[in-house]
Amino acid sequence: MSRATAGERSRAFLLVAPLLLFLAVFFLWPLGAMVTAAVSDEAVSTVMPRTAEAMADWDGAGLPPQPVQRALVEDLRAADDQQALGEAVRRLNSAVSGFRTLLTRTAGAARDAADPGAVSLPAVDPRWEQPRFWLALKAAVPRYTDRNLLAAVDLRRDADGAIVNADPEAAANRVIMARTFLVAATVTLACAAIGLPYAMLAAAATGWVRAALLMAVLLPLWTSLLVRTAAWFILLQNEGLINGALQAIGLIEEPLPLIFNRLGVVIAMTHVLLPFMVLPIYSVLLSVPRNLMPAAASMGAGPLRAFWHVLLPLSLPGLLSGSLLVFMVAIGYYITPALVGGAGDQMISSVIAFYATGTANWGMAGALGLILLTVTTLLYLVYGRLSRSPQLPGA
Amino acid sequence: MQPFIQFESVSKAFGPLTVVDNLDLGIAKGEFLSLLGPSGSGKTTILMMLAGFERPTSGTIHLGGKRIDHLPPHRRQMGVVFQNYALFPHMTVAENVAFPLRMQRLPRAEIDRRVERALDMVRLGALKDRRPSQLSGGQQQRVALTRALVFEPDVILMDEPLGALDKQLREHMQIEIRDLHRRLGLTIVFVTHDQTEALTMSDRIGVFNAGRIEQLDAPHAVYDTPRSRFVAQFIGETNLMEGRVAALEDATATVIVEGLPLRVRRTDGLALGQEVSLSLRPERIRLGADSVGGNLLPVTISDCVYHGDHMRVQLASGPLGLVARCERLAGDWAVGTPVTAGFDPADLTVLAR
Amino acid sequence: MLRVLQTLFGLLAVAFLMLPILAILPLAFTSSVFLTYPIPSWSLRWFEELATADAWRMSIVNSLIVGAGATVLSTLLGTLAALGLRGRVLPLAGVFRTLFLLPMVVPAVVLGVGMQIFLARLGLGSSYTGVILAHTVLCVPFVVVSVSASLQGIDPTVERAAMSLGAPPATVFRLVTLPLALPGVVSGAVFAFATSLDEVVITLFVAGPNQRTLARQMFSSIRENISPTVAAAALLLIVGTLCLAGLAALLRRRDKRLIAASAP
Repeated sequence: MSRATAGERSRAFLLVAPLLLFLAVFFLWPLGAMVTAAVSDEAVSTVMPRTAEAMADWDGAGLPPQPVQRALVEDLRAADDQQALGEAVRRLNSAVSGFRTLLTRTAGAARDAADPGAVSLPAVDPRWEQPRFWLALKAAVPRYTDRNLLAAVDLRRDADGAIVNADPEAAANRVIMARTFLVAATVTLACAAIGLPYAMLAAAATGWVRAALLMAVLLPLWTSLLVRTAAWFILLQNEGLINGALQAIGLIEEPLPLIFNRLGVVIAMTHVLLPFMVLPIYSVLLSVPRNLMPAAASMGAGPLRAFWHVLLPLSLPGLLSGSLLVFMVAIGYYITPALVGGAGDQMISSVIAFYATGTANWGMAGALGLILLTVTTLLYLVYGRLSRSPQLPGA
Repeated sequence: MQPFIQFESVSKAFGPLTVVDNLDLGIAKGEFLSLLGPSGSGKTTILMMLAGFERPTSGTIHLGGKRIDHLPPHRRQMGVVFQNYALFPHMTVAENVAFPLRMQRLPRAEIDRRVERALDMVRLGALKDRRPSQLSGGQQQRVALTRALVFEPDVILMDEPLGALDKQLREHMQIEIRDLHRRLGLTIVFVTHDQTEALTMSDRIGVFNAGRIEQLDAPHAVYDTPRSRFVAQFIGETNLMEGRVAALEDATATVIVEGLPLRVRRTDGLALGQEVSLSLRPERIRLGADSVGGNLLPVTISDCVYHGDHMRVQLASGPLGLVARCERLAGDWAVGTPVTAGFDPADLTVLAR
Repeated sequence: MLRVLQTLFGLLAVAFLMLPILAILPLAFTSSVFLTYPIPSWSLRWFEELATADAWRMSIVNSLIVGAGATVLSTLLGTLAALGLRGRVLPLAGVFRTLFLLPMVVPAVVLGVGMQIFLARLGLGSSYTGVILAHTVLCVPFVVVSVSASLQGIDPTVERAAMSLGAPPATVFRLVTLPLALPGVVSGAVFAFATSLDEVVITLFVAGPNQRTLARQMFSSIRENISPTVAAAALLLIVGTLCLAGLAALLRRRDKRLIAASAP
């Protein structure tokens, strides 16, 4: 009722400030670091600052003017960090092969020359007369690049700087993204197919039945994700309970392949994410008066028509926010596909993890991470709009 | 003599909304003052300003000659009883009552003694180790009251303290509070929207409407001689009639209402031809054989509703409709029966329009 | 007919939800080296393995260290922030609240990549401090949500009553607000600890071999060489989480009762 005074406001801010600062440093900054890694390309520019500056004045036509060539010689002369130079050479060589020998020879000549201004690069190596080396150098010196972002969606820039499709053998990301969305959509559908009737059943039940139905949803939610994934591993394996039971009753001869494939991933993820579907629908249905169905029946609607015209429309908001939630969480999943999926079931998170921990390619990890982060954030914003409170159920 | 509590041109605005408008109000020591009004009339805001939870936008408040409107609540020495009791749910009854004494840093033994005595006084001694959640509404109410009284504050402020109780308990607590007021000589400011509560308990009633005092008077004066249409309608039921002064005599005046001449008591400032409103309480109308008085109207009965201890009778005289309240009807007066309605000029209150 | 279908569906769904959890538990007591049924005979050898094998023992200790650190830090930061967000005092409170809940939403792998880059830059890569800080980020939302909920349940007139009875603001906080918010703080801490205990992905990115937590150890064990030790560890986690969840539920119930009492 009362307006806050300045004193109350500053007191409240002081209370919030520590967490604000903490998250700014240890949450937003790391995310920023990831984004920076995705767009920065400092391997060459740190070693060749003068060249980078001089390149800005060259329009890329023909061969670069004398100041650029002189700047390159000076940079190579001054380069004393062998590791950094190696990084730069690796980066350039990956753009145009042959750069390694070219730069090694040029660097040697640059160091040996008495006067850097007198060094003529074409004289050191005739390859400096080919514009493609200079163009590659020009492309590599800016501190920021869209190379990783383009590569994340299987695009690249050709020699002229135009955006074209990447070579088919280097293009896997679109397939993985499509697979990620496909798996997430399948899981969302499966969750909806089980979760909607389940939530309706729980909302219609009373007493211990309702308590038991809710407990069956909440207990998995409280159980460690890893434990649940391990449990599915045990159930789905060839010698697992499901195959064992099916073989015991003679339904099958050979064990069904349930694990290390798409089916296993979808089953395990559906189990893990089902509570996120049931709880929003259930809470929406709880606010529906209990006598609506009898009321519909009293007006002559049979059970199916009453369901179709009354209960289903009323549960749609819950279904929608539950689906968004499940989809949003599913596209970022890593553990379950990693443990019960096969090589063909890996989702975008696995690729990010591969780039980050496997090959230390921060640029690619960051670029793919940025895409995942953007999609998740957009979904979260929509979810926040749809549901009254932006917090996740079970929290 | 300066009153014990003095509001001087106090206003309170929340943004563009003025809730209390230039209030001047004095409250005497030992007085039981009720602030009565519909919700949004500003009465609770006045109490909150007195308790220190709200600061006046302008104006001053004095208590015992000392200015208090800038003091924080904990330095005002006022016992506040809230509508929902506001008992500390994590403390026992005794701990709740001991709280203000602990704040005064009294010795442990003294606190125990005073808590015990206070709880015994309201017959809650046996419940002192219970949590508030284990008490009935009435018991919680008594604990809240005891907690507000135990540190002997200068003033007790009550914000609709009986609103959450059922009717019977409410009437019982009304008696209990009035009794405490008399015995301990307390100064009580009591906010309510229940006119019966205000009428039965108070020394004076301030009737509020839209942030202003409409009337500040003893209960019988507020009821018998309301000073505005709002007061007449808000307190009790009334028949409001519009008319014009047609003649002025020595002690009386004649007002024409719907073509009927009604005699009223002449008051100062009444002018010939003036448009006035008349207020007539339903229980002042007598019917049939009982009808005596300065005004006698031929009316017909248009409806009659049985209420147990009384009857409500709808009367019509041409376009004029009246409500009468009778203990019983002499005989069987069916709808449509013509009767005579009588009332004294003194029972017609003239309200300026 | 409809009723039979309903009952059948309900039973199947409950079985789907519960069976995996129930199926893994008995395997913790198998004497076999395989995670299969039927169980040949009962044995506690895998618990012994948990307690004696260096990798497992160390991971349990690490989980407790990291969990304790992250719980203390996130409870402190989250409780203070929830107090600051209380009421409508702070401008932009909605923006702050959204920011505080965001770590729950950002995909773990994305945060992991960022954390790895960032902590390495700070020289905190593969250190306990780094792992604890990273876990704290993930735990904080749960504390903020839990404490906010219990603060929201406190009737502000109770605090006004304390003021009117002579308590200065600091005393009101100490004697009224804090005790009433305590169940929310404790259950927030419980959620924080459980979250840290279960966290794998971020740990994968920021922890070195010396900071392997139990969850991380289980992950690589399932991936590389699954043995009934995983089931024993799972049992340990389930029992632990259930105890913690039970504690939280108990406190929430008490919380609700107190709230119900303060607002009749």
